[in-house]
Amino acid sequence: MTAPAILEPKAAADIAIAEVRNVSVTYGQDAGTSRLVLEDVSLAIRSGEVLAILGPSGCGKSTLLRTMVGLIKASSGEVLANGKPLVGIHPGVSIVFQNFALFPWLTVQDNVRLALNGLSITEAQGAERVKRCIDIVGLDGFEEAYPKELSGGMKQRVGFARAMARGPELLCMDEPFSALDVFTAESLRSEVYRLFSSKSTAPASVSGNAMSGLRGVVIITHQIDEAVFLADRIVVLAAKPGRIQQIIQNDVPHPREYQSAVFRRLVQRIHDAITKEQLPDIPETPSVPPTPGGMPVPEPLPAVNIGHVTGLMEIVRDHGGEMDVFSLDQLTDYDFGHTLAVVKAGEMLDLLDTPKNKVILVALGRKYLDGDSNARKLLLRDQLKKLGTFQFVIRLLEEAKDHRLHRDVVIEELAIRLTTEDIERMFQTVVAWGRFAELFGYSPNEEVLYLDTEADAPAALPA
Amino acid sequence: MKKALAAPASVGIELFVLAGVAGLFAGLILIGKRVHAPMNVHFSISLSLWQLPKYTACTLLRGITAYALSLVFTLVYGIIAAHNRRAEKLMLPALDILQSLPVLTFLPGLVLLFVHLFPTRQLGLELACVVTIFTAQAWNMCFSFFGSVRGIPSPLREVTAIQKLNAWQVFRLLEVPASMIGLVWNSMMSMAGGWFFIAASETFGDYKLPGLGSYMAAAQDAGNARAQVGAVIAMVIMIIALDQLLWRPIVAWSERFKLEDVSSAEVPQSWVIDLLGRSRLVIWARSLLPSRRNRPRSDRLISPRSPEEEQRHRATLALLTKITGWITITLLAAGFVWGMWALFELLRHVPLVSASHEDWRFIILGLLASFGRVTATVILGAAWTLPAGILIGLNPRWAQRLQPVVQVVASFPAPMLFPWVVGGLAILHVPFSIGCISLLLLGTQWYVLFNVIAGAMAIPSDLREAARVYHLGRWFTWRKLYIPAVFPYLVTGLLTAAGGAWNATIVAEYFSMGGREQATFGLGAMIVRATNQANFSLLAAGAITMAVFVVIVNRLVWKKLYRVAESRFSLNIG
Repeated sequence: MTAPAILEPKAAADIAIAEVRNVSVTYGQDAGTSRLVLEDVSLAIRSGEVLAILGPSGCGKSTLLRTMVGLIKASSGEVLANGKPLVGIHPGVSIVFQNFALFPWLTVQDNVRLALNGLSITEAQGAERVKRCIDIVGLDGFEEAYPKELSGGMKQRVGFARAMARGPELLCMDEPFSALDVFTAESLRSEVYRLFSSKSTAPASVSGNAMSGLRGVVIITHQIDEAVFLADRIVVLAAKPGRIQQIIQNDVPHPREYQSAVFRRLVQRIHDAITKEQLPDIPETPSVPPTPGGMPVPEPLPAVNIGHVTGLMEIVRDHGGEMDVFSLDQLTDYDFGHTLAVVKAGEMLDLLDTPKNKVILVALGRKYLDGDSNARKLLLRDQLKKLGTFQFVIRLLEEAKDHRLHRDVVIEELAIRLTTEDIERMFQTVVAWGRFAELFGYSPNEEVLYLDTEADAPAALPA
Repeated sequence: MKKALAAPASVGIELFVLAGVAGLFAGLILIGKRVHAPMNVHFSISLSLWQLPKYTACTLLRGITAYALSLVFTLVYGIIAAHNRRAEKLMLPALDILQSLPVLTFLPGLVLLFVHLFPTRQLGLELACVVTIFTAQAWNMCFSFFGSVRGIPSPLREVTAIQKLNAWQVFRLLEVPASMIGLVWNSMMSMAGGWFFIAASETFGDYKLPGLGSYMAAAQDAGNARAQVGAVIAMVIMIIALDQLLWRPIVAWSERFKLEDVSSAEVPQSWVIDLLGRSRLVIWARSLLPSRRNRPRSDRLISPRSPEEEQRHRATLALLTKITGWITITLLAAGFVWGMWALFELLRHVPLVSASHEDWRFIILGLLASFGRVTATVILGAAWTLPAGILIGLNPRWAQRLQPVVQVVASFPAPMLFPWVVGGLAILHVPFSIGCISLLLLGTQWYVLFNVIAGAMAIPSDLREAARVYHLGRWFTWRKLYIPAVFPYLVTGLLTAAGGAWNATIVAEYFSMGGREQATFGLGAMIVRATNQANFSLLAAGAITMAVFVVIVNRLVWKKLYRVAESRFSLNIG
């Protein structure tokens, strides 16, 4: 597959522009424990390629990019720039940010001009370059405008102009279209694609001045379509902790169209790979029955509401009780990670089954949907009691004085045992599910979790 | 004056800082005591109405000088604290405590110090006055600046890292503009709050400076009614003129620094800016200025330094900063030790119990008396301003018209009006110890009113509609919606009012006017008497006791209230 025309031909093709080897990144958390965000990631960005890093929200893709570029320090492993160890920020990098990151008090022109800082060119050349870059992104005439006056799409164009004005070796884009509405995103995406894929449409002076020296592009995204549309190589990241699940070569020929059969096949293939990882047919860790007298083992919980699970089950029931994960995903406008998380929650509660790529509503799930709100609570309570995390929390409460525990204590206990989770978020999920099922209560004023002893007597089920 | 509260620091650090401040204070007094020379300054105030513009200008100049000092302090202190996590741990609690101290407790010490350093010139008094006002203006600006710099969204910082901007560029292009809105609002409030202290510090005991405050005092001494009215009018005109000609235009101009993308519906207007924008004269003048765009393109390099040179340059700067840091720490440590010694040296002369009324027992009693007055002020003030403020705030038309008026009234220095009130109290045969409370109220109740109005204006209309649709009834709506909704604002207002009341005790509890003396039993009166009698030990003891007490009350009462207000009553969703 030929490299996108705009990139320099394989000059120094052997040396990766930016590379990480066995890199891990750890964040400290409020509870005093740390969270492993990236684990043993090795990736090289080669000359002449457009690379996409694909993954659900929270999987560490932004962290990976920032580590490669030098904005974040890796906790272990090596980070290289053009073959040499990276010191400070990679000198040849520009970033286009998700939320544009324009300085509100500078005009469009001054914002782009910021990018020229530190370059050894004359003032005159600089002014020329700024004007040209603004021209290329189609904002000619808006040089004196302030970001406040621009729409989202226009602001991101300024972001692109600023990134190009620096004449980078590596252009990075961190979910550049996520903050835009669907139509604007689509139009901007096509323009970027045209810029990458065809030299004839780009003005000759562009590649002559600003874009010469561009050797690679990295784009971070959570949309499979976008990755397949723009990239040559797609890196799929798994979450918790962030690690490379798979690297896929994109052989869809140019010009690419969303509806072409080849395109759809690759999208499906990637989707299946992700689904298999998130919802394995064989459970990855068999549920460990607590050893008599021993503490139950908590396991990670998807951060979703019970309401979401109920809604998804209703939809599956309306479709005959069985649906393809992919079609389910198309129905929602969540990023795909979230749909899978909801499905996973349903599966953990034994309300859904997920063989291969299907989502099936099982008998217990139907019973749940048929019951009234009381019946649902009781059913849910029984299911929650089977989960390691809830057994663990209940055991902690039973052994506590007055069956009450401060939230910080519970969070710390969970954090010790689950080092890859965002414990604060997980605690919120635990509290939400627990309250819904009336397993325990939570008092936000005192920040205390307590066992709901009166609610243990089950209400009589309607006949 | 809206005060910002810092994140809770450990008790240990707060005690340490408190000790440091007390030591500083004691040190100042000790210097003043040592450098004792006869006071030669006696400035006579002319009561002619034609002198008023001159005196107004003097007062104005003092206020502006103090403000400039505050601004420089804010930028330097704020940047150091924002960039250095370890320094922050000490610098923020220090700010917090300094903010809680009654400013006027510093005044006697400062006057003594500066006057004795410059015995034959007016310079000493002027410096004392300006530094006093500085201590009233600087702290909330500093907090705001620190908060803004910390709150800069990380993508913007990442941009500066990628574009390799140096520290000065980051400061100029990112940190200062991002804090601009907060700085402007806090500057307004600082200057407004400063007038109170100018009036009080221009004439202190026998010392007089040319200015509106001393003009008013002289007029009251002589019983010259026309001059008194003239002074009040001049003060009001100055405040309004500053507000309209300086602050409103600046606030409107600073809109461009707003960090949120959404342009709000309510953009601050300024008729001055509108006028200037349309004036042909101004447009012509602007075209004369050399514009950056019109400059001929130069062949100058954008970055004259090569990357290696840049690296070396930064390394040198880092080393210099480190050395300066260590020198500062050493000096501070030495100063702290000296301050502790000065504190001990002064305070040991104050007996626990004695025959005269100059011992610790009476200091504590006086403190309790003043505390009683301050509490009464806060409660009485809230009693009427809470309902009034809510009523005004709920009605947008009234609110629009009255809020600027209340702002001006809050800026007006109440001490200028004290003699009239005292005279009135005497006529009504109200005992001064209780009547004193009305003086405290006069200066501070406006802060509560102002804040409650702002709080009532901020109640979202859909909550009010829900109250009407569900027929909640008037009393119930007040109890369950209006009062809880304005609670955070009320707490801010009460905190400010309490601080103002403590300050006011120093000018209200002891009155000397035209030979007549009105005094009551209280800590403020004791401090003033101690200054007049040059009893430095008693002065230090009284002032430090007041300061420590206010800080303790602040921590035990106000911070808890604030936390409750933030967590339960805040209307911020999510």
